[in-house]
Amino acid sequence: MVEYRIDRRSGVATYLQIVQQTKQALRMGLLEPGDRLPTAREVVEATAINPNTVLKAYRELEREGLVEARRGLGTFVRATLGTTAPADSPLRGELDAWARRARAEGMDREDVAALFTAVLTQHFEGDDEA
Amino acid sequence: MSTLALKGPAWVTVRQYRRTLWLALALALLALAVVAGLRIWTAQDPVAPAEDGVWIASPYNDGYLKLRWILEYVGFAAIALPGVVAAVVAGPMVAREYESGTYQLSLTQSVSPTEWLRSKLTVATAFAALAALAVMGIYWLGRLGVRQGWDYHWGHPGTYAASGITVFAHVLAAVAVGALVGQLVRRTLLAMSLAGLVTGAVLAAFSAYRWSLLSTERVTGPLHSGPRITPDDLHMGSGMLTPAGTDFDPSICWNEVQQAPGVDTQEGLWDKLTNQCYVRNGVTTEYVEFHPSSHLWPTQLIETGIVLALAALAALAAFRVLRARHP
Amino acid sequence: MSTTTEGIALRADHLGMKYGGRRGGWALRECAFALPAGRICALVGPNGAGKSTLLALAAGLLRPTEGTLDGPARDDLAYVAQSKPLHPRLTVADTLRMGRELNPGRWDETAALRVIEGGGFSSDTLVHHLSGGQRTRVALALALGKRAGLLLLDEPMADLDPLARHQLMGLLMSDAAERGTTVVMSSHILTELEGSCDHLMLLARGAVRLDGAVDDLLAAHTLLRGPVGDLAPHTVVDTRTTGRQLTALVRREGPVEGPWETSEPSLEELLLAHLRHPEGAAA
Repeated sequence: MVEYRIDRRSGVATYLQIVQQTKQALRMGLLEPGDRLPTAREVVEATAINPNTVLKAYRELEREGLVEARRGLGTFVRATLGTTAPADSPLRGELDAWARRARAEGMDREDVAALFTAVLTQHFEGDDEA
Repeated sequence: MSTLALKGPAWVTVRQYRRTLWLALALALLALAVVAGLRIWTAQDPVAPAEDGVWIASPYNDGYLKLRWILEYVGFAAIALPGVVAAVVAGPMVAREYESGTYQLSLTQSVSPTEWLRSKLTVATAFAALAALAVMGIYWLGRLGVRQGWDYHWGHPGTYAASGITVFAHVLAAVAVGALVGQLVRRTLLAMSLAGLVTGAVLAAFSAYRWSLLSTERVTGPLHSGPRITPDDLHMGSGMLTPAGTDFDPSICWNEVQQAPGVDTQEGLWDKLTNQCYVRNGVTTEYVEFHPSSHLWPTQLIETGIVLALAALAALAAFRVLRARHP
Repeated sequence: MSTTTEGIALRADHLGMKYGGRRGGWALRECAFALPAGRICALVGPNGAGKSTLLALAAGLLRPTEGTLDGPARDDLAYVAQSKPLHPRLTVADTLRMGRELNPGRWDETAALRVIEGGGFSSDTLVHHLSGGQRTRVALALALGKRAGLLLLDEPMADLDPLARHQLMGLLMSDAAERGTTVVMSSHILTELEGSCDHLMLLARGAVRLDGAVDDLLAAHTLLRGPVGDLAPHTVVDTRTTGRQLTALVRREGPVEGPWETSEPSLEELLLAHLRHPEGAAA
């Protein structure tokens, strides 16, 4: 079960904070398929935000195929954001080899991270903004 | 005073004023205990007929006098009760709701404003009627103890109030007047004083004029030997008649006699001259006006009727004001 | 009160309220709005704008001088007045019992007790001895225990500490989530309501200056920053110039074209802009 932390001063719309925090929990494996999200009532009782905001966030997650609403039962996780790939996946293997090569060529940790971020930005530009 | 059987707004009203209700009950029990105690004391040394045939209490019987003294207060309580009821209804029960803002709470529950006021007035009426019954019961108990000697006359204001039915009409009117004044004034203390005053004025008007509601009876008799009424009759006035049958103004003779020389010094001269004056003016008849005891209950009924009509008008006005203010 | 149109919890039409007879002033004048059911509406505005009058009219405590205000009947609305009036000589338990006695067939003791919990007082305390915040709790408990479709709350959070404010707002929101209650809450502190409300009504000098869903209102306005210039055809709500730099909040009429940097205002910026010009936008 996730617990949402709403920061009213962050400038990020409240419903987006819920969407992002749900995705984060999915990535970290805190939520798995079949898990129930807290009901809107539980969320608003803990956070004092408007119930429609929670429903809007859940609709957004549903639209993205991450969760599904089962009438009368609640909202359940359907898919993982399993990009934290398992240790034996091919993608991970390639990245592993690449990192080894970079180190051999004398790049330090910060250089690698900067390069990685630059490539990420180039390929995933604009994806995070819903 | 179980609040278990009460429901809805009546429960709320009783709960709110339970201290006042307990206080009133304690006061009634105290009065009852005092009167009952004095009756027992009085009974130790019973009232006995004196030599001239009049029943008197023994000079050693302090209890008898104290009982009479207490009864004056109980009779006064019967007279004052409507004023107290009006003040309590107008101030703490109605005006205070407006003054403190709790009407905003009371009038936004599921009961309508009419139901809200009606339940308050019902509780107040029931309480006031019980209080009136208590006062009457205590008065009756005490009066039984003194009637062997020198009984209260039925026309005595305290007795009239504490032994009749008018008190019920007066407390009903007091409740209605309280409801009206409380809503109009909306300040606890001001409403209490004003409602007390209005009710007091009604009572004062009736004490001044209630014996004019029915016409008096008149007995005539020859001058000086005098017409007689019984001690049971209520004396209202007396006078002398001219031969034409109209009232003779006795000041004519007083003025005349006053100016005669020597009236101040010669004994018996005043009476003699006065009588001569009467004879000269042809006055031979005296009369007494009175209410026989048979007038008591018709008077009580007429007063009750008039006061009930006033109560109905005030109640109607109170509910009109309420409905005009709150949708 | 007459029946309401489907989906509308509270509707005002030419609503006007004048106090104190012929010489009194208008507390509200020519108000018209329709509040959809299920909304959490923030009723904001400066002191004396008419917020309390509007809530008391909606609660059926006052009769409008002119126009109409249609809402649910007395038994389907709950009202908490600004002063949180309670009978001082009743205990907390008696006060809740009063709620049950005066709302037969509706009263929900559990809902009321949930509000009382965490107040730090026992139920046999006399109301007379409660602190301001504790009174607020008891008043809100009565309102929530009534299970009404419309909750009218006049400055409900004013006496509460931040923790209690958060807890009670959470309870209100969960009640609304569970039962679709429409809530109208007045406040002159917007941050108290931001995040909880999805509808906004701004009153100023007895008139409705702004009314609508928060998202729609924000989307309809734009914050401009750039060189001084003609802002037509947009309705200017508030402008400030510093040297050659212009900052303006406008209600858009079509897309904004010009040398300005644009952004969506925050709710606070929107309200402050409107409050600075209570007479209405310069248009």
